[in-house]
Amino acid sequence: MDLNKLMNLPGALAAFTFTDKGDLKDHAVRDGSEIAREVLDLLAHWCVANIAIATMEARGWEALTGQKGFEPLQGFSMIGLEWSVVLASGCGVIMKNRDVNYEDAFNAVAACAAAQQMQGAA
Amino acid sequence: MVHIVKQLMAVPGVIAAGEFAYGGDRFSYEGALTAEFARMASILCRSNTVNVNMQSEIYDSFAENSGYKPAQGWIVRGAQISVCNVGNYFAFIENRPELLNDVMAIMRAKLGDIGDDLLVSLYARIGGDVKEALY
Repeated sequence: MDLNKLMNLPGALAAFTFTDKGDLKDHAVRDGSEIAREVLDLLAHWCVANIAIATMEARGWEALTGQKGFEPLQGFSMIGLEWSVVLASGCGVIMKNRDVNYEDAFNAVAACAAAQQMQGAA
Repeated sequence: MVHIVKQLMAVPGVIAAGEFAYGGDRFSYEGALTAEFARMASILCRSNTVNVNMQSEIYDSFAENSGYKPAQGWIVRGAQISVCNVGNYFAFIENRPELLNDVMAIMRAKLGDIGDDLLVSLYARIGGDVKEALY
C-alpha cells in the first residue's frame, strides 16, 4: 500500500522500504526502468547512512549555532544526473528529475515512514 | 554564474545562500549567517557532496550508465528549514510551500548539469595523482 502511493508520484521509477539496518524489505519497480533489487538494497543502506549523517549534522548545527528548525529531520535526497532518490526513515522513492516534485516526494516518504513505524510498533 | 547567490537571495524564504570551493579553501555567501557559521556550512556542504559523489561512484560500479553519476547535489529536509546543494552552491531555505521546488529549479537551471570531473576537484587536496586513483 505504501509503495503504491510512492509509485503514484509523477516520475516515480521505483519505491522501496527498508529496515533500520538498511536491509531491503519491499520494493516496486516501474516496468522498463531496469532497476535491480541489488542496487535498491545498496541504496537502502545509503539511506540509513545518510539519514544518520544528516541527523548528526542537524543536531550539531543546532547546538553550535543556536539556529533551530532542522530537527526532527524529515528526509534526505540524493540528486543524480537523470534521477533523484527521496527518502525518509524506512522509505525511499526514485524519481525522474524532469518530473520530480521534491515537496510532494518528501511528504509522501514521510507519510510512508510514519506508517512503517506504526506497523513496527503494532 | 556569479549571480546565482543574489538570485536565490531575492526569493522570499531563502535564509542564506553561498558558494564553496571544491578544494575546501574558500567560500562566499549572502544572508542570515555569520562568517563563521557560513564557513561551517561550507565545510558541511562540501563534506556531504564528497559523500554523495562517493556513493554515486559505487552505484555506477553496480549499474553502469544508470543515470545517477555524476551526482548533482543533495537536499536535507529539516522540520522547518531545508538545505539544498547543487554542485558547489548551497541554500538554506524555510519550508514554505513550493519554495523547495522553486529553489531547486533555479539552481539546476542556472548551474546546468554538474560535470564528471567533480570528484577530481573535490579530492585535489588529498595529494598525489587523484585522477589515476579514481579512474
